[in-house]
Amino acid sequence: MKKPYLIIPAALLILSAVSVFNVQAQDYRSQRETMVRTQIRARGINHGPTIKAMRNVERHLFVPAVRRNRAYEDNPLPIGHGQTISQPFIVAYMTQLVNPGAGDKVLEIGTGSGYQAAILAEIVDEVYTIEIIAELGESAQKLLKELNYDNLEVKIGDGYYGWKEHAPFDAIVVTAAAEYIPPPLVEQLKDGGKMVIPVGSPFMVQNLMLVEKKGERITTRSIMPVTFVPFTRKE
Amino acid sequence: MSKRLFYSIGLLSASIIAFQLILMHILSIMQWNHFAYMIISVALLGFGASGTLLALKSKWMISRIRVMLPLLMILCGLTMSSILALSEIIFGTFDSYLIFVDRDQLYSLVLTYLAFFIPFFIGALAIGLIYVAYVKKIGSLYFADLFGSGIGGLASLLLFWTFFPSQLPAVIAVFPVMAGILLIPREKKGIFTVISVASLALPLVLYFNPPELKLSEFKSISKALDLPDAEIVKERTSPYGHIQVVRSKSLRYAPGLSMRFKGEVPVRDVIYCNGDWFGPVVSWSREDTTHFLDYTTNALPYVINKPERVMVTNSGTGLFVAHSIVKGASSVTAVEQNRVAVDLLKNELAPDIDSLFSHESVILEKLQPRSYLLSDTSSYDLIILPTIETFGGTSGIHALNEQYLLTQEAFMDMWDRLTEKGMISITTWMDYPARNTLKVLGTLMNTLRSTDVVNPEEHLLALRGWGTVTFVLKKKPVTDAQIEKIREFSSSMYFDPLFLPGITKEERAEYNMLQDDKFFELADNIVESEEEAEKLYSEYDFNIRPATDNRPYFSQFLKWNRLSYLTEFYGASTVPFLEIGYLVVGITFIQITLAAVVLIILPLFFIGWGGGYRAFTVLHFSGLGLGFMFVEIVLIQRFILYFGSPIYAAAAVLSAMLICSGAGSYYSSRLQGSHKEIVKISGAVIVFILLYGIFLTEIILSTITFPMLLKIIFSIGLIAPLAFFMGMPFPLGLRTLSVQNETLVPWAWGINGCLSVISTALALIIAVEAGFFWVMVLAAIAYGITLLANYAKS
Repeated sequence: MKKPYLIIPAALLILSAVSVFNVQAQDYRSQRETMVRTQIRARGINHGPTIKAMRNVERHLFVPAVRRNRAYEDNPLPIGHGQTISQPFIVAYMTQLVNPGAGDKVLEIGTGSGYQAAILAEIVDEVYTIEIIAELGESAQKLLKELNYDNLEVKIGDGYYGWKEHAPFDAIVVTAAAEYIPPPLVEQLKDGGKMVIPVGSPFMVQNLMLVEKKGERITTRSIMPVTFVPFTRKE
Repeated sequence: MSKRLFYSIGLLSASIIAFQLILMHILSIMQWNHFAYMIISVALLGFGASGTLLALKSKWMISRIRVMLPLLMILCGLTMSSILALSEIIFGTFDSYLIFVDRDQLYSLVLTYLAFFIPFFIGALAIGLIYVAYVKKIGSLYFADLFGSGIGGLASLLLFWTFFPSQLPAVIAVFPVMAGILLIPREKKGIFTVISVASLALPLVLYFNPPELKLSEFKSISKALDLPDAEIVKERTSPYGHIQVVRSKSLRYAPGLSMRFKGEVPVRDVIYCNGDWFGPVVSWSREDTTHFLDYTTNALPYVINKPERVMVTNSGTGLFVAHSIVKGASSVTAVEQNRVAVDLLKNELAPDIDSLFSHESVILEKLQPRSYLLSDTSSYDLIILPTIETFGGTSGIHALNEQYLLTQEAFMDMWDRLTEKGMISITTWMDYPARNTLKVLGTLMNTLRSTDVVNPEEHLLALRGWGTVTFVLKKKPVTDAQIEKIREFSSSMYFDPLFLPGITKEERAEYNMLQDDKFFELADNIVESEEEAEKLYSEYDFNIRPATDNRPYFSQFLKWNRLSYLTEFYGASTVPFLEIGYLVVGITFIQITLAAVVLIILPLFFIGWGGGYRAFTVLHFSGLGLGFMFVEIVLIQRFILYFGSPIYAAAAVLSAMLICSGAGSYYSSRLQGSHKEIVKISGAVIVFILLYGIFLTEIILSTITFPMLLKIIFSIGLIAPLAFFMGMPFPLGLRTLSVQNETLVPWAWGINGCLSVISTALALIIAVEAGFFWVMVLAAIAYGITLLANYAKS
C-alpha cells in the first residue's frame, strides 16, 4: 500500500518538469519572435519564406547547451572546431540573397550546426549539405533527423567537389568561406543559378558575395551590409 | 656577503628574463601575439607587487632572510615549471578569440593572469628582498641582476633552438632552484636538501612528460588539423617560431582564383609557424608555361611585361618564386627572414617543391627584405611584395608588427632599384570596410609623387578580381599596347581594371560589382591630388595614412577618436574583431596602469603619506622606469632594420643594453651617490638619448652595408656608452634613499617595477600615434624628471 504515496510526488515532479519545459519553450518562442522582429524584419529582410523559416526553426536547438540561453542574441556563437553558428541576420540575409522557393534544389557547403540547412529545408524541396568535420556533420545529421527534415541530406566529406549526383542546383550556399571558389561548384550551378559566400572572420563584419551564372558569363556582386544596414543593436 | 649571493641573483635574473621570453613564445603559439603580450604585461606587475609587499613586510622578511631567499628562489622555479601544466586546466576553457563575445572568458582570463603572475612575483620578491637587505652593495648586486638578465636573453635563444616549446618551462625552472640551492643555510641543510631534490624532480618529470599545448580552436593550424586525415608530417623549433608542416587531402590553396579556372586545385602540404599560416608547399614544373597564379590578379605584371630579373620579398614557401620562373625570369632573388622554414624547404621538403630553392635561377637571401633592399645595389625588372592581409582579414592582429617593407621609404628604395622597364607589384585582399587597399594605394601614390614622374596616373595600374586587387607601379608610362593586353586579360579572367589610363566607369565593375561606388570614390580621392588624399586620411574612420619608417605600423588602422562611433555603428562585440591588436594594447595599458596605481599607493597607508623623500622616490624611480624601457624599445626597433632579423636584433640589443648597464651599475659603487652626481649622469643620458633620437637612423642606414660581424661590434659600440650611464641612476638612487629614509627602498623597487611595465605599453602607443622619434623625446623627458628630482634635493 505504499505505492500511492510514491505516485503523488512523482506526478508532481513530472508536472513541474513539464511546466518548466513549457515555460522554457514559451520563452524561446517569444525570443524567436523578438529576434525576427528586431534583427530580421527591422533590417530589411522582406522575403516571406525566409521570415517564416526564421520564425519556425528553433535556433536554440542548434546551439551548444552551454550557450543555449544566448541562442537568439544578435551574435554568432561558437559551436566548436573553430566554427560558429552565424548571426541570425546573416543566415536570413544569405537565404534571401539566393531567393529560394518551392521546387528548388539547394546545395549547402559547410553544414556546421545545421541551422542554415534547416532554414533552407523549410523553404525549398531538396537540400543537400556537406560538412567536412565528421563530428559536426554527424551531430547536425542526428539533430536534423530528429527534427524530421526528410527533404534534407547530410554528407560528411570535402565540399570542394560539390555533390555531382544531385547537380545542377538552383542555388549554392557556402557557409564556410574559402580563398577560392571551387571550380566544381561553379559547374554544378544551374544556368541562372546563384551562389552566396561570406567573406570575413566569424565574428567580423562579414561581406557577403553573390555569384551569378548566366550562360558562360559569371559575375560576382559584393554585398556590403555595413554600408546600408548596420547590423548592430542601435535601438 | 658571500659571492654566492651574486651568482644566485644572476642565475635568478637570467631565468626570469628567459622565462618571460619562453612564455611569450608559448602563449603566441597557443593564442596570439597580442594576447600573449597582454597576459605577460600583467604578469610582470609581479615586480611592482613584490615592492608593495616588501614595503609592508620587509622587516619580517629580512629577519628571516637566510631561509626566505632560498625558499623563494626554489618556489619560483617550481611555479615556473608547473604553470604551463596548470594553465592547461585554465586554457581548457579560455580562448582569447572569444573574449569579446563570451563574458565567461573574462574569469578565465583573470585566472590566467594570476597563474602567470605568480612566478614573476616570487622571483621579484627574492630580488627585491636582496636589494632591501643589502642596499649598501646595490651597485654590484644590480650589476649581477642586469648581467644575469643579459645572459638570460641570449641563453633563451639557445634554448629555443634546442627544446620544444612545451619542454622549455621545465628546462628554465632548474635555474632558480639552483640559485636557491646556492643560498641554503648550513643549519637548515637537511630539510633544504629534501626540498631541493623534490623541486628538481618536478621539472625532470615535466621535461619528459611535457604538457600538451592546447591551441585556440580558431588558430589556422587547429582548423587544418580538424580536416580528415590531417597530420603533422614535420616539425621544427627555433627562435624563428615553431614550424609545423600539415598534410591533409583537403588542404588546397589558390587565392582569389578566377572563375574561368577549370582545372583541379591541387592538394598542398601547408607550413604553419606558431600555429599561423606561413605558406603552401607548392610543386611546380619547369616544363610548364602556365601556373595557377596565371588565373589570379597576381599575373598582372607578367601580362604587362616579361621581367627577366625578379625580386620576391618575404618569399615564404616560394609560390611567387616558382611563378616567376614559369613566366621566364632568368634570375629570381628570394628574400625570406625565416631561416628555419627556408632551410626546411631547401632540404627536407625539396622534393615537394621540385628543388625550387636550388634552381639555378634562384638566389636565396635569408634576411628581412627591407634590410636586404638597403644593402643591395642590384636592379630588378620586377619587385613582388607579399600579399597583404589574408582572406577574411586578420582583424588587426598584426597591427603592432613593425612592417619596414611597407613604409613610404621602403617603396622609394624599391623604386630606386627598378630598371627602366621595372615594376613593383603588390596584391591585397579586398577588405570591408576598405583599409588595406586604400593604404596600399596611398603609399603607391605618395611614391609616385616623390619621384620626377610627370603623370602619376600613367604609372599606376590595378586589377580587381572577386577577392583580390593587384597594384602595379611602373617605372615608365604604360603603353597603349600594354593597356590593350591588360584589358584582354582582365576580360578573359572575369576581372575588372581598377586603375588603367582611359578607364571608363562601367569597365570598373563589369564582372565584379560592388554594392555601391563608395570604394571607387575613396580610391579616386587618393589618386586625384595630394590635398584630396590628405583630406581623406583625416576624415576617414580608419587610419589609412601611409606608414613611414618612423611609424612602421602598416596594419594599424584604429583611430581612438573614432572608437565610440565605430562601436555604435558596428556593435560593441564586432569592433574588437575589426582592429583587435591595437585595442588590446590600449586595454593592457589601462589595466596595468590601474593596477600599478593601486600597488604604488597601497604601501603609503602603512608607511605614511607625507615628507621624508616620498616625492623624490616617486619622481626619481618613475622617471627611470619609464625612460629605460622607452630607450630599450626604440633601440630594438631600430636595430631590427640594421640586422635584418627581429629575433637576433632584440636579443643583441637587450643583452648589450643590460650588460653595459650592469657595468655602469658596477662602476656606480665607486661613486659617492650624491644628488649632484645623479644630476650629471642623468644629464649625460638625456644628451645621449637626444643625439640617438636625431642621428641613429642616419648612422644605421649609412653603415647597413657593413659585414655582420662589424655591424655587431659597431652596434655594441653605439649602445654601450648610453647603456653604461643608464645603469647608474637606479643603484645610486637606492643608495641615497637608504641613507635618507630606508623604509622607502622597497617602495622604490615597486615603483620602478610598475613603471617599467607601464612604459612598454605606453611606448607602443606613442610609437603608433607619433613615431619612434617622440618615444625618444619622451625618454629624455622621463630622465629629465629624474634629473629634476635630484636637482631639487642637491
